[in-house]
Amino acid sequence: MTVKRITFLQALLDFIGLGGRLHLAWISSAEAQKFVQVVADFTEHIRVLGPNPLKGLGLTTAGAQKCRSNGRTHEPAKEPVPAPAAQ
Amino acid sequence: MKTTVKRWLETGTVDIFLGYKITDGHPLPHGFVKQRLEELEGLIDSPQRYPLEKFAAHLLAAHPDLKIGMFARDCNQRAIHVLTLFNQLPAGQIKTIDLNCCPSQLKPHADCSYLQPPKPGPYKVQAGIDNTLAPAEVEAFDPDERLSRWMYEFEKCIKCYGCRNICPVCFCTDCSLAHDALVATGPLPPDVPIFHLVRAVHMAGRCVDCGLCEAVCPMNIPLRLLYRKVNQIVGELFEYETGACDDRPPLNMLGDKVTLTPKPLQSHQTIKPVNDAMHGSA
Repeated sequence: MTVKRITFLQALLDFIGLGGRLHLAWISSAEAQKFVQVVADFTEHIRVLGPNPLKGLGLTTAGAQKCRSNGRTHEPAKEPVPAPAAQ
Repeated sequence: MKTTVKRWLETGTVDIFLGYKITDGHPLPHGFVKQRLEELEGLIDSPQRYPLEKFAAHLLAAHPDLKIGMFARDCNQRAIHVLTLFNQLPAGQIKTIDLNCCPSQLKPHADCSYLQPPKPGPYKVQAGIDNTLAPAEVEAFDPDERLSRWMYEFEKCIKCYGCRNICPVCFCTDCSLAHDALVATGPLPPDVPIFHLVRAVHMAGRCVDCGLCEAVCPMNIPLRLLYRKVNQIVGELFEYETGACDDRPPLNMLGDKVTLTPKPLQSHQTIKPVNDAMHGSA
């Protein structure tokens, strides 16, 4: 299932213009050499592609700026709850 | 048409018929029932489209024994098929009256609200993606240009959820697009391009290419084009034709054996010459 999803996602990201930035490999905890090899290769691969183009794209709208500066921790401003009317 | 519906309702073939009726000057979906047969005078087969099968699924969730009749174009038929595959509609409980759909040489007359997508303005052609393009024409742009064009389109999103709400095959009760932990609430546009890509991934093997999402999108984002590409990928990778196959979609079932292998990293063309150059200099 994972290989299906990732293969699909690779094609979709490629269509959007973010191709080659997703890689899937199965590495057992006993395969340290393979892990090093895969990570080193992929790091090199990513370096060739350059930094994430989404960062340099400059999302223009204020919401996006806010979104990026806050990360995902956007919280709506807390408004003081009006006191219930006196009897 | 009216006589058929009347006969169906009178004989109890169907308990409710989902059609269209002019309400306040608009052709809106309407449920016709036996108790109010006089309403059938207003029954029309409008060019406007609504996901009637979605309403049927909602009705059947509340009243499982209901027999439902409805108008169906080709897109509705495909959606009924997909919903049945996903166990959202019980097979055989829906009777349809077929309506005209996309025009062809055999069927020149057509009633559909989405035969001609709006013509894009000059700025959209220059910076965005023309809704009338085919996926292959979009792929003709460079990857960088493709990204900036798609981001131009995605950034317009006002997160109205119109695409999700109108979609006949969107049926999850818990939508990941409406989940606080997954998509931040408040700022606009929503997290791009993740917001749209999540929906695109969910459309894999499911989208019936009815075009309603794009038709309702107030910002005219070429969603139909995106989901067309999604299903094209599903077709190429898994040889699965959405809406026509009788199996459940490939991303929704495990299958008996693995036929795909992870892409080897070295096969990517851009990395090869660089690696060779590095080895050469080392």
